[in-house]
Amino acid sequence: MAYAYLFKYIIIGDTGVGKSCLLLQFTDKRFQPVHDLTIGVEFGARMITIDGKQIKLQIWDTAGQEAFRSITRSYYRGAAGALLVYDITRRDTFNHLTTWLEDARQHSNSNMVIMLIGNKSDLESRREVKKEEGEAFAREHGLVFMETSAKTAANVEEAFINTAKEIYEKIQEGVFDINNEANGIKIGPQHSTAGGAAGAGGAGAGGAAGGGCC
Amino acid sequence: MHTSDSEDFESADEGHGSPEKKERKKRLSSSNYSDNALETDQQPQEPKPSATAVKNIAKETDGWDDFDIDDNEPIAPPPTKAKVTDSKKEVEQKPTNVKADQKSQVPCWDEFDDWGQDDTVSTQRTEPPKPVQNKQSAQPDPNIKEVTDRLAAASTGASGGWGGWGWSVDSLLSTATAGISNITSQVSQGISTVLETGIGAPDPEELARSSVKANEAKAPVPAPISAEDGDKLQGRQGSSPEAGANAGDAAFPFGSLFSGVSKFVETTGTKVISGGLDTLETIGKKTMEVLQDGDPGLAKKRALLGLGAGDKPVLSQVLREAKAKADEDDRVREEKREAKEVHYENLFDDFEGLVHLEALEMLSKQISMRIEERMRSVDADKRQDIKETLQQVAELCEMPEEEEDDDEPPSEGVSKADAFHERLQTATQDLGLKLQFQPLVKQYTDILTYISGSPDTTVKGIYKRAVSGLAQATALSVEQYHKAAEMLLVKTRRSTADEADALTQMTVVLTKHISELATLFTEKLNGLPSDNTEQVNTYITNIFLEAGNSSTYIQNAFQLALPILQIGAV
Repeated sequence: MAYAYLFKYIIIGDTGVGKSCLLLQFTDKRFQPVHDLTIGVEFGARMITIDGKQIKLQIWDTAGQEAFRSITRSYYRGAAGALLVYDITRRDTFNHLTTWLEDARQHSNSNMVIMLIGNKSDLESRREVKKEEGEAFAREHGLVFMETSAKTAANVEEAFINTAKEIYEKIQEGVFDINNEANGIKIGPQHSTAGGAAGAGGAGAGGAAGGGCC
Repeated sequence: MHTSDSEDFESADEGHGSPEKKERKKRLSSSNYSDNALETDQQPQEPKPSATAVKNIAKETDGWDDFDIDDNEPIAPPPTKAKVTDSKKEVEQKPTNVKADQKSQVPCWDEFDDWGQDDTVSTQRTEPPKPVQNKQSAQPDPNIKEVTDRLAAASTGASGGWGGWGWSVDSLLSTATAGISNITSQVSQGISTVLETGIGAPDPEELARSSVKANEAKAPVPAPISAEDGDKLQGRQGSSPEAGANAGDAAFPFGSLFSGVSKFVETTGTKVISGGLDTLETIGKKTMEVLQDGDPGLAKKRALLGLGAGDKPVLSQVLREAKAKADEDDRVREEKREAKEVHYENLFDDFEGLVHLEALEMLSKQISMRIEERMRSVDADKRQDIKETLQQVAELCEMPEEEEDDDEPPSEGVSKADAFHERLQTATQDLGLKLQFQPLVKQYTDILTYISGSPDTTVKGIYKRAVSGLAQATALSVEQYHKAAEMLLVKTRRSTADEADALTQMTVVLTKHISELATLFTEKLNGLPSDNTEQVNTYITNIFLEAGNSSTYIQNAFQLALPILQIGAV
């Protein structure tokens, strides 16, 4: 598919917070309650439209297990956006946010847009982390915050798309150097060949019409 | 005016009398797209003296009056495109160095043409001596600078004979020269056109008409303006070409053609301002007349402008053309889509091969750095040990020479896909990892099903499936190396030699698998009755090419995994 930009995202956070489920909900619009443990990194991709432009989101869904930490760290580089996910029903996942954030900031480029996500918002009865806490953490660290449910799809689209919008705005502001792929942004295939083909076709048609007239 | 001149010119040259009106009408019709296209094609590269040069110009202006039509006819772009290209070509052919955007000058001319026809108040005065005189000076030399020189030379000659016109030719000439040197190339183009057309063969009737026009236009002109002002105003000529044309027209009969040239430069600006609204109004009226002249080609314009809306056949024609264009666009788009569909790299990307490769590369770099760090942190002796170990591992990972080609024929009762799965598992059993080969096996099964009896029996369909199948198999293979690398890095007990051997074996199995796939598809293609063997051969060549591509990707992935194997040993 042709796209204007490609944004690389990474999804990070403790194991079992629902990173892979968020990705599946976003790319396939479905929920899978039982999910294999992610090994290293898995990928997903989806096309979105911002400001009339086709943008391909290429999402790197990392393993949350501690064992993979050193591996997943090497994937941070070159990400334009990150979804930092915790589970609102497990306080420890919230408590680990600082470590994740440090990791992310250390191993990625400074302009990376980070979205804090409190997942499993459908499990209100088992909530351990108040929404206000998430908001406060986000405010303190300059993140965007959202509570989502990969199960009900609540806010899932928004989380991915708002992050993309923020990245897009940064591009417009010139914060991101889109020609530097270390920023996690690639410019889509140009339409030079398309233009040439169309031009040639047009000229050919013109010539044919002329022949008919004479 | 340029147009009318040149057209008349052409006619005069070819011996046509005044009844060229019909002829011109015909040219104005929409069919002159084709005329032009044809003419352009036939046009000699090098403009030849006199007649040919004149013809050249006639053609050029042809292009221009078409522009008028183009302008109003956005739904018939193929001819438009052809047209634009043509006129560009013409400009290039003329050595005039004029790179001007001629479009701006274009639209007016043909209107003038007809305009002139209406004001047939004849005047004989400009007629007789000029053709001879001018033709001599018209040795076509389109270089502007030389044109200017020529202008000077000619006018000296002319001033003697035509001194009685009441205009100081010399002074006008100097104005012209000065003007030419600093006006834009666009205007230069206009001038050279005026000059050449005028010099080549002035049509008496046209001149007469022009002079009438000039007299009309002269009336509201207050005072001559400075050349500088004129120049400044030239800029505006681009945006209001009608006025510019009028100015040129008006300038024409002033004494001589040469003075006409100079006045073209000078008076254009004046007329834009002073002639202003009156002129534009007149032009507007005339334009409407021309547009509604009942010309079938132009009728489309009316429909488009909403002036003759409800004109049924025209509307249907418009719609037909729009549909034809849409169809053409669709066709082009479809071709592009198809081209993309069988584009190996795109498919490989779509199957996530590229991103796995990218991730593997990141991992590989990271680990290489870690190995280097480790080497830096130890003393020289240990470093040498490490180096040797690294080298040993690298040697283990060298691809074996084409060994036993057909190891064991697939045993009875075991499907090819299962045999493939078995080979993969055998190869990697010492790796100590649980690699998931199911996707690869499933893809192979799908391909086998497709090959053995699919409804899709077109050559192109098989080719597409082949490229996509190869891309997918490669992507899935690359994923195996990526996953293997990740799992090896978290493995607690490493046995590098076994791992290296296992990955090497896996590479052998996978590359063999790729050539097996290629063979399957090419055999299928060969077995197909086809009347286009050349196309089939091209496809087969491409399939083997992409299979080679696939093997390269797989071996690259294997090489990227090398540091991950190495770090287990140091």
